[in-house]
Amino acid sequence: MDSQKDIQPVKQQPMIYICGECHTENEIKARDPIRCRECGYRIMYKKRTKRCILSPSRCVKNRSV
Amino acid sequence: MAAPMSNVDEIRDRVILGEFGVKNVHTTDYPGNYPGYDDTWDLEKFKKNFRIDIVHSDENMLEFDMIGIDAAIANAFRRILLAEVPTMAIEKAFIYNNTSIIQDEILAHRLGLVPIKADPRLFEYRNPEDQEGTEIDTIQLQLKVKCTRNPRAPKDSSDPKELYLNHMVYSGDIKWLPIGNQADVFADAKIGPVHGDILLAQLRPGQELDIVMHCVKGIGKDHAKFSPVATASYRLLPEITLLQTIEGEQAEILVTFDYLILIWGHEHV
Repeated sequence: MDSQKDIQPVKQQPMIYICGECHTENEIKARDPIRCRECGYRIMYKKRTKRCILSPSRCVKNRSV
Repeated sequence: MAAPMSNVDEIRDRVILGEFGVKNVHTTDYPGNYPGYDDTWDLEKFKKNFRIDIVHSDENMLEFDMIGIDAAIANAFRRILLAEVPTMAIEKAFIYNNTSIIQDEILAHRLGLVPIKADPRLFEYRNPEDQEGTEIDTIQLQLKVKCTRNPRAPKDSSDPKELYLNHMVYSGDIKWLPIGNQADVFADAKIGPVHGDILLAQLRPGQELDIVMHCVKGIGKDHAKFSPVATASYRLLPEITLLQTIEGEQAEILVTFDYLILIWGHEHV
C-alpha cells in the first residue's frame, strides 16, 4: 500500500502560515526564519484544519456554573 | 339587529368581555347540566352545526373560521400545528471549511433555522442509531461560497457591494445534492430553502465557507426549527351588536372602525 505513494511520505506538503498583520499566506519551511514575505511581521498563524467538523444545528446546551 | 338572548342561552353560548377580563369561558353545556336542553353529542347534530369558512389563503398565511366547535378543540389544533406537525430541517452541518468570522456552531445554528422546502410526508424519520443517513430519511445540501476582491471595482469606492464578490452569504446559495434515487423521485420538486434571501453570514476576501448539511424529519416538540408555522393562533369570533340605529357622520366613523366592540347588556363600562 505504501509503494503506491511517493517514496517520501505525503507530509512534504508545504506548510502555509498566515501573517498576523497583512494576512498573506507564506510558505515556511523547516528552520526558515519566521518572517512575512510582504510586511516582515514575525507572528504567524496556522491555517484552519482541513478535517471535517460536525456541528449539530441546535443550541449548544447551557452549562450552569 | 339587537335580538335579546335569554340569560340561559347567553351563558351557554357566549363569552362575555368585561372591563378587566373575559368571563364565562368554560364549557358548561354538558349533558344533564341544563334541564330542558338535550346536550348529548350526536354526530349528525354536530355535522349540521359545524362549518369551516376559509377567509384568506395565500402562500404564507391561512386564515379560516371554525363555527360550531368548542374553543378547546381550536386550541388543540393550534398546539398540534406548533408542536407535532413534522417538517424537514437541517440537523447536522459538516463543516469542511469556515474561515468567516461567524463561529462554526453559530453558523450551524442559523442553518438549522432555515426553512426547507421538502414534503415531509415523502420522508421517514431517521433511526436514532443511524449516523450516515439513507436516501429515504435524509436530504443533503451544500453551501460553498468564497469571497474575492472585485477586480473591476472603481478606484476610490468604499461600498462593499462594489469592492467584493460573494461577500454576503444568503440561504439561496444553498444547493441540493441528491442522494441515491432522489434525483429521479424528486426530479421536479426543487428541494432547497423556502426563502433565498436569508442572510447567513458576511465574508471578506480570502474567507470561505464549505459546508455539507443533512436534513432530517422532525417535529416542533423536539426543536422549534421543525415547527412548520411561524406561529398559529386563534381567537373567538366577536359578536358586535348595534344597540341603536346609527346614521350620518357617526355611521361613517363606525364603518371605518374595524375593532369597535360594543359590550352587550349589563357589562357596559
